[in-house]
Amino acid sequence: MTAESAEPVDPTVVAVERDPSGRHIARELRPGSFLAPRPLRPSPDRLRIALVGTRAGLLAGDDLLLDISVGPGARLELVEPSGLVAYDHRGGTSRWRARVEVAEGGELHWDARPFVISSGARVERSMDVSLAAGARMLWRDTLVLGRSGERGGGVRARTHVTYDGCELLVEDLDLLDPDVRELPGILGPHRVIGAVTALGADPGGRPHPYRMALAGPGAQVRLLDTVAPAIEAELAAVWEDWRAPGGPVTPGLPVTNG
Amino acid sequence: MAGLASLLLGDGRLPVGAYTYSAGLEPAVAAGLTRDRIPALLKARLHTAAVTEAAAAVLALRAAGRDPVDYGPVQRALAARTPAAPLREASATLGRGVQRLARRLDPGHPAVTALTGIRPRPLRPVALGALGAVMGVSEEELARGVVYDELQTIASAALKLLPGDPLDTVTWILDAEPHAAAAVAEALAVRSPAELPARTPPLTEQWALEHAQRERRLFLA
Repeated sequence: MTAESAEPVDPTVVAVERDPSGRHIARELRPGSFLAPRPLRPSPDRLRIALVGTRAGLLAGDDLLLDISVGPGARLELVEPSGLVAYDHRGGTSRWRARVEVAEGGELHWDARPFVISSGARVERSMDVSLAAGARMLWRDTLVLGRSGERGGGVRARTHVTYDGCELLVEDLDLLDPDVRELPGILGPHRVIGAVTALGADPGGRPHPYRMALAGPGAQVRLLDTVAPAIEAELAAVWEDWRAPGGPVTPGLPVTNG
Repeated sequence: MAGLASLLLGDGRLPVGAYTYSAGLEPAVAAGLTRDRIPALLKARLHTAAVTEAAAAVLALRAAGRDPVDYGPVQRALAARTPAAPLREASATLGRGVQRLARRLDPGHPAVTALTGIRPRPLRPVALGALGAVMGVSEEELARGVVYDELQTIASAALKLLPGDPLDTVTWILDAEPHAAAAVAEALAVRSPAELPARTPPLTEQWALEHAQRERRLFLA
């Protein structure tokens, strides 16, 4: 790995709360080096914040950092107007890091747009989520290895989620070396990895052949494909199914290890 | 006793019910894997699942040597790194066979009695840690046994699923040596359950979910 003189990290900060009267408040909306939070017209029961890109994409040495916090009983929906592209890094590495904290009874919906890893890019992505008891998160994410016709660059996507202090979902998806990731059982010929993940509660909803019931409270549907459009539509359907208000939702129970 | 014990650990004839397991080969074959790709599958497993399994077994062996024995942290860490329920279920089923053997060898051993308190049932690497403690094997012998067993499980399942010259299987395993050695070294370097590798192979998970929905199958995973 090349040593880079990265510029100081300037995080994008979104912090929302609910005041004693039950009204939602954006306590902090601070633009970072890459993304600026912009309030959208709120839904009746939640704040909606758009993460608007202020730079073209990720280059070597870039360090995109997001700090998201949702207070007790508050609900936040993050909207991404456009996806993100990591361009040819010419030997360097970039980082994308999100730290998420959701307090008791809080809820975060994050429908992330595709993250494209162009040939020559090398990205370390980390998602660190800490959910208090009774907190929930619904997250959709898609990684696309390469623009059309490319083999794609490298990405190592690490996810660490705790619920009530216990590990709920830990994953280290190492897709840095194309020769390894194309082996049978890892990605094979696939270049697109998309998932909808419900954390903190069983999302209910319809059965799906690729639904994974986590050992603790939560579920994931992950799809793979050689091109993006097919799985985007299917993930959107899972997202709508799982976010439906009033669906059968089992509140989070203590994490078990089954 | 450790000399024979480490050989027993890697022996497919050890009566722990391992013949019910293909280490992902049967689901892979159903998804179209051909015989010529078996060496590539072995390499994929050595970069992903085998590292996690071996490291978890080593952590369980260390837990077995402490007083009191508490497998909770490694069992929970492994469950959080195994999102596909059919893979957790297969691991618990295989773990039961290992636990039965450990109990028969030394029912009063603290490493064995600590397994009974685990709910849901111990996953296979946790039970292997207990068996390793009872048989007196070293961390390295256990890690190598787990990694070797992974290779031999696939190679012997291939005789049923993708029949061909049985002598090929020996070449597959010997050629995997550098990757196997790296997996063992990586497993031994893990110091705590928080550091347990989480190399989920996404396509393997999908195949496991498809396999669990099939009615006709030879192996449980």
